[in-house]
Amino acid sequence: MTARLLSGPALNLGAEPYDAHRQRLGALPGKAERAGLIPAIEAAGLLGRGGAGFPVGRKWASVAGRSKGQAIVLANGAEGEPMSMKDRVLMATRPHLVLDGVELAADAVGAKKAVLYIGSEHAGARVAMEAALRERPRVVDTRIVTPPVSYAAGEESAAVRFVNKGDPRPVTVPPRPFEKGIDGKPTLVQNVESLANAALIARYGAAWFREAGRAETRGTALVTVSGVTTPGVLEVELGTTLADLAAWTGGTASVGSPVLLGGYFGSWVAGPDAWQMPLDPAALRARGLAFGCGVVGFMGDSACGVAATARIMDYMAGSSAAQCGPCVYGLRAVADATARVATFAAHPDDLRRLRGWTESLVGRGACRLPDGTVGLLRSALTVFETDWAAHTAQRRCQVRA
Amino acid sequence: MNARRPFMDSGFRIEIDRTVCDAYGTCAELLPELITLDEWGYPIIAAGNIPEPLLNHARQAVESCPIVALRLAKVPTPQAETRPDRQTGVPPWPPRPPQQTPRKSMPRKR
Ligand SMILES: Cc1cc2nc3c(=O)[nH]c(=O)nc-3n(C[C@H](O)[C@H](O)[C@H](O)COP(=O)(O)O)c2cc1C
Ligand code: SF4
Ligand code: SF4
Repeated sequence: MTARLLSGPALNLGAEPYDAHRQRLGALPGKAERAGLIPAIEAAGLLGRGGAGFPVGRKWASVAGRSKGQAIVLANGAEGEPMSMKDRVLMATRPHLVLDGVELAADAVGAKKAVLYIGSEHAGARVAMEAALRERPRVVDTRIVTPPVSYAAGEESAAVRFVNKGDPRPVTVPPRPFEKGIDGKPTLVQNVESLANAALIARYGAAWFREAGRAETRGTALVTVSGVTTPGVLEVELGTTLADLAAWTGGTASVGSPVLLGGYFGSWVAGPDAWQMPLDPAALRARGLAFGCGVVGFMGDSACGVAATARIMDYMAGSSAAQCGPCVYGLRAVADATARVATFAAHPDDLRRLRGWTESLVGRGACRLPDGTVGLLRSALTVFETDWAAHTAQRRCQVRA
Repeated sequence: MNARRPFMDSGFRIEIDRTVCDAYGTCAELLPELITLDEWGYPIIAAGNIPEPLLNHARQAVESCPIVALRLAKVPTPQAETRPDRQTGVPPWPPRPPQQTPRKSMPRKR
């Protein structure tokens, strides 16, 4: 474990006050030094922490490089992923680090206004951010917007639409938020953890940032670990392994047992190899996996992967913003078929159709909700291959006999 | 035609607003080479740019959509691409299936 974002007072003490934050980390660098911030973030190799892992410096540069007008910064703390808690923990305990990031981002891209977009179920985070805003000088005109509980509300075009019109459903892009977003202005949508990292890079530099990390991608990341004795949010070096995480959190599952990596948008992985692979965005990508938003769910040895997948499919079908036909009908069909398999009532061609949908539903929605959902299904069909077969052919569960 | 583009590439692609499309299906009737319908009647559009010889059909298909869910979009050359997400070196998220099986109706690769 490597504490950077979460260094300082114990997390159970709640939000770190502004004075303590400034004393511990020092003031933000002045105007002159900030000029080099975008190149520093690019040199650090910071990747977005909302899921997609897009290079943060490149996004700032493209918003900063627009031809005219003001931009707007949206700090994304929607955290609609049911297995993730890291954004709310960060906002509730280190609100000023996030606000530092907002201030720096606004400065770098030429914005005077910012929106803190905080999921309405994350009351602790919202209260901490509200208090933090009152504590510090108002450099950027910042307001808090709280979207309703919904998976898709955290998607960037949905976030912009909710701020503009009160409707948290994704819209078809282009134009993308960075071209035309809040009030029609170019909008930098950035996850709150990404912004907090920028605030550290501004103070300590790219070389310092790159000191952490065990594999190709440098830096630390917040992860949300579940299915262990002490579940919760940890900060770890990128490249840490599942075996390490299990050891640090009192994991009881046997080595190599299935793990859900990346949450409901992620993939199942299993096997001793998987437990030793570095949780490094580049290394994971080479295996067709993604670091996503840092969710690590240990399943344990006595749970049924088919049943767990069926529950997730049902949740995702219910999360469809009900705008795009293939998402509405496709995810419902996927959820129904997985539920049938899980309850030993599969139709003869359910497995074949499920396999087909893992390809045919990719790229078929305005947002990537279908892509993420069938991506998880695809991994489940591979990792639990014999379980799906037993559930359909023998109508029994190998795990819970 | 732009010299940087492959032979026969029209430099346009079909973009669809999936939040609007209501599965009328006229597009697939007029451009079966590039658009097929899934089991619920929603269009599956072949990846990539429209081949030059199909551009006129594509234009008709786009104009036929009763609720204007389709449009032809000019595709910038990689060199002129300004959207950061379409620039090279950024992997898709969530990850895509290993290889997407090409459909029979796709025009052959040169
Ligand atoms: C269905 C869906 C839900 C998303 N939910 C969130 C979210 O809750 N929080 C978040 O930061 N990003 C979320 N994203 C990613 C955002 O669209 C966007 O990429 C991100 O906020 C950009 O910040 P980053 O580059 O710092 O990661 C979601 C994306 C999709 C497709
Ligand atoms: S793909 Fe699904 S969740 Fe995304 S905009 Fe369309 S209906 Fe909504
Ligand atoms: S014609 Fe328009 S509404 Fe009909 S299927 Fe095609 S895109 Fe959808």
